[in-house]
Parts: sequence; C-alpha cells; structure tokens
Amino acid sequence: MNHTPDTAAAGNGGSFDPQQAAALLDQTTQQARRKLAPSPPWLLATRAIGVLAALGAIWLSVRGQHPYKGPTAADAPILIAFIVLNFAATVGVRERALAGVRGRTRLRPAEITIMVAAFAAVPVLMWALAANGVSFAWYPTTVLIVPGLAWAAVSARAGWRRCGMGLAVAAIGVAGAFAGPTGSWAVAGVGLCAVLLGKAAAVAWRQRRDVAAT
Amino acid sequence: MTTDELDPLIHVPTRLKIVATLAALPDGDTLSFTRLQDMIGLTPGNLIIHLRKLEEADYISSEKTRNGTVSITTVALTGPGRKALDAYTQALRGLLGGL
Repeated sequence: MNHTPDTAAAGNGGSFDPQQAAALLDQTTQQARRKLAPSPPWLLATRAIGVLAALGAIWLSVRGQHPYKGPTAADAPILIAFIVLNFAATVGVRERALAGVRGRTRLRPAEITIMVAAFAAVPVLMWALAANGVSFAWYPTTVLIVPGLAWAAVSARAGWRRCGMGLAVAAIGVAGAFAGPTGSWAVAGVGLCAVLLGKAAAVAWRQRRDVAAT
Repeated sequence: MTTDELDPLIHVPTRLKIVATLAALPDGDTLSFTRLQDMIGLTPGNLIIHLRKLEEADYISSEKTRNGTVSITTVALTGPGRKALDAYTQALRGLLGGL
C-alpha cells in the first residue's frame, strides 16, 4: 500500500487544507449524485405536473356526465401525448445518466420482462373484473395496481426503502376503487402527482445532503 | 486532531474526486473509465496514475472486458475503499469541528 503524500507530485498544488477538502468532497459528491441520477428531481416534478394536467383535464371532462360514459374522444390525444412524452423523456434521461454504469442500477432483462408482463396483465385483469361485475373494473386507478406492485417487487432488490414508490402507486389504485368512476380520475391525478412530488423532494434532499457537513 | 490523521492516499484533490464520484454509485455498480474521466475532467494518463495508486491500496477495483474489437475498462469502489472514505470523512468532520 502506498501512503506517501504525493500532492505536489500529482500536480494538484501544494497545500490542501481540511476545509478545502470538505468543500471538494461535498461538491464532488453532489455533482456525481446529480449526474448519475436515473430519475432526477426535475424530471419527477415535471412528470408530476404532467400527470396532474392530463388526468385533471379528463376529470374535468367527465365530472359533468350523468350517467358516467367515460373519457371523450377529445381526451385521448392528451393522455397519449403525456404517455409518449413521459416515456421518451424517461428513457432519454435514464440512458444519459447511466452511460458507462453497470450493475444493479440498471434494470436486468428479467426485471424489464416483469414490468412488461405487469402492464400486459392490466387489460386482462380489468376484463376479468368486468366479467365478474366488479364496479371498479374500468376505473383508471385499477390500471395502477399491478404495475405498482410489480415495480415495488423489482425495486426491492435495491433495498426495502425503494419499494415505497411502487407500493404508493398500488395504494392509489386501491383508493380509487372507493372514489367512483368520476372521482377515480381525480384520485389518480392528485395521488400520482403527490407521490411523484414526494419522490422528487426525497431525491433532491439526498443529492444536496452534505457529506462532510462543511 | 491533526491533518496527519487524514488518509494521505485520499487526501489529494484528484483522488478525493475519484473516490467521491465512485462512492455516489450504489454498492456493486461499476463506472466505465471514459465516463469517470468525463465526470472528473482528467487526461487519461493522469487518471490512470491515480487509479493505479488507489487500486494498489485495494480502494478500487478495475476490470477490463472485451466486446468485439473494443475493450472497456470499468472501475468500482471496493468495500475497503468505501470504509476508507467513511473514515476520511469522519476525520474531516472531527478536524472541522475542532476549528
């Protein structure tokens, strides 16, 4: 082990006092956390606003329906635009952040398969619930239950604390079942917005937390 | 408490940046040499010198994999490396608290 002080030899200047070291440690750590974050706070906050706007717009269009008929044809482009933009932004940001990174931060093929299967299972589950006369079968919140649980299971690999987001999404799905067909759009919009903003705040706090407490 | 208690291997600006950057990754994740170089802003030669010193002390591990004609070097902070950074951080806190 070579523990010879080599500050000057390394071309780093002469003295390096503890205050400078603490400042450099905090600055480098925070920069690295920001650059390596697959879901940065700004993306989570933008997604929160987007989901609230998209689902809120649909709620506004269906709340006057008596009886409830579901979203109108005019609502479809809003939802599709949100899904496409969200997917593109998520993939783009994630790929840039994880360039050169290998390990458990990246989703494994088996985990991607689990998530694809979870989303594929959603219409099957909804159809099965509807066939059995379950009232909340076609509620938008019902869509969230299986992918939420699947995401919690996939995230559990990185520690139980990472399960929170998936479990919260699944909980919104369950809560929506009690809100009625119109109210479930509001529950989905407000619930997902709150979960995403909470996650954004938590990520931002972790990124800015000092290491050396300068 | 004096600065002598700070691990001299880490108490060098460039190596502190390398170790702090690698510590931002979750345990078990690796970072490619080129991405690390890009994040720290060093020349390849300079980065290699510092990585070699850290690897000799078992603070980092590196692996070279070949993908066709392209070879990729990845580096990661080891368990002892993470412990050394934690000890260094504690020592810094002690020093700054005493100022």
